Amino acid sequence: MIGIGDGSHNSMIRNAIKLGEGHLTVQPRGYIEAPANHKYLANGKTLQAKLDALNVAGSVEPRIALQVLASTASNSVGAGLEGLSPGGDERVETLKPQLVDGEWLEAGDERGIFDSRVDELDDYLILSDIQFARYFLIGEGADPELAPVTRFAVFLDAPDNMADWKARLESALESDDVVVLDWQEMMPQLVQFVMVDDAGNYVFLVLILIMVVFGILNTVLMSVLERTREFGLLRALGLSRRQLLLLVFCESLLLSLLAEAIGWLVGGGTHLWFSTHGIDMEALVGGGTAMMGTFMDSVIYTELSWDRVVQLTLIIFAATLSSGIYPALKAARVTPVEALRT
Amino acid sequence: MVLLTLQGIGKHYRQGELEVQALDGIDLNIEEGEFAALVGPSGSGKTTLLNVIGGLDAPTAGRIQLNGTDITTLKESQLSDFRLFQLGFVFQAYNLVPVLSALENVELVMVLQDRHAKDRRERAEHYLKLVGLEKVMQRRPSALSGGQQQRVAVARALAAGPRLVLADEPTANLDSENATALLDIMHRLSHEEKTTFIFSTHDVRVMERAERIITLRDGKIVSDEGVERHQHETTV
Repeated sequence: MIGIGDGSHNSMIRNAIKLGEGHLTVQPRGYIEAPANHKYLANGKTLQAKLDALNVAGSVEPRIALQVLASTASNSVGAGLEGLSPGGDERVETLKPQLVDGEWLEAGDERGIFDSRVDELDDYLILSDIQFARYFLIGEGADPELAPVTRFAVFLDAPDNMADWKARLESALESDDVVVLDWQEMMPQLVQFVMVDDAGNYVFLVLILIMVVFGILNTVLMSVLERTREFGLLRALGLSRRQLLLLVFCESLLLSLLAEAIGWLVGGGTHLWFSTHGIDMEALVGGGTAMMGTFMDSVIYTELSWDRVVQLTLIIFAATLSSGIYPALKAARVTPVEALRT
Repeated sequence: MVLLTLQGIGKHYRQGELEVQALDGIDLNIEEGEFAALVGPSGSGKTTLLNVIGGLDAPTAGRIQLNGTDITTLKESQLSDFRLFQLGFVFQAYNLVPVLSALENVELVMVLQDRHAKDRRERAEHYLKLVGLEKVMQRRPSALSGGQQQRVAVARALAAGPRLVLADEPTANLDSENATALLDIMHRLSHEEKTTFIFSTHDVRVMERAERIITLRDGKIVSDEGVERHQHETTV
């Protein structure tokens, strides 16, 4: 269950990063608080050179994001124009297969309709070649010779190193009036959604854990009560309370280890299967998998990081082990005379 | 040489509103190697006295010295150790562990004593042979007769090398033949192993083999006699 949760969240996050502004975004200071077309990076050429000099392990895509009014003869709607490089930009790679009419944009040209599966994007987003979008910045007074942009989207090959790269970018661009934001800062709603969904999963997990704990408690307690006479005998023969407590506790420990081993085999096997074969979510939910401005892949592959495996293993181990404490204490309280009378 | 000394042992407990005086000022000395029987009617305090001597129950008054140790002053864990190394128990209901074989049951106390595996296996086999169960060592208690189970219990009590064996009504669940056989074994081993036996009974066959008969009534010793005199009295 956690594997499915992590798999779907990571799928959403990966797609949001591809559709959005990359793992890291370099943009004018104050833009995120109050976006406006006149807030742009006037000297894109210098910034690009600085970023290139960093040899980012991934790609750096210049982009121009503008708020525009799209008009037809009969109607006008607010829209977002995104100017990007037609070749190589992750967003292009993600949306290119979703072309439903016309042709995919080429340099200096735009003539197709895509269906991103995300309504918020489809109702709002217009993609264009970056050169075309740059005309709007020139209209705002930008010098075309300096290759103005509104942001750079940084896509990392190894997202785990994001914090490190963020620090390096901040250091390299310290003198410029820019900020480096990671995807969590760019998409706080998505982060909140994942947290809330994770919390829901954990609540469910806690409920299961409670059932497991009571199940084990019942099993061990019954096993202790059934052996009251035996424990009384052992106490009479010379087993101390402490040894008896340890004995029952060790039984719980073995039960916990056995449960862990079975859990690893069954859970691990299930995860292994679904991490390679996936779960067809579209077939299951029978519709779109879009939410929070992004979408889940139609086939979700379960994902479990080692951190998560260790965390879950420890939680289950602690829960099962703690369920043996009460029966162990109960067993240790057995007095030989009373137990042998049973 | 005196092995066990009881001085003014009293034991009372509450049963609802009723205050029951199970033992009342028991004074008793048991010599090393004695084969002594505690007799008396039901409720006379035989089992309570054995429990108190065995450290399974604490007296409310008096002192018990066993092999020079005042067991009434021992802490719980010390008392467990004392029982483990100094005492052997034979219970009326055999009290063997059902999932262990006869051999493993005999080894059990020695496992608790932390004896070496080879040593305890040899001792367990030796004592099972002494009680005549060499052919059924691997059987579980459920596959043994009552007499055989009680003999396993005797072997278990002796194999751990105790100074004193306490047996509570050891023949109560046995038929006449098995009871006689068990008593013969206990008596023989008492002499061969120089182990002191105290057993409670109201079985005449047991009394006939006892070397000393201590009679209890209402928690008090009312007579403490040698066998010949007792036999004479019963004959008369």
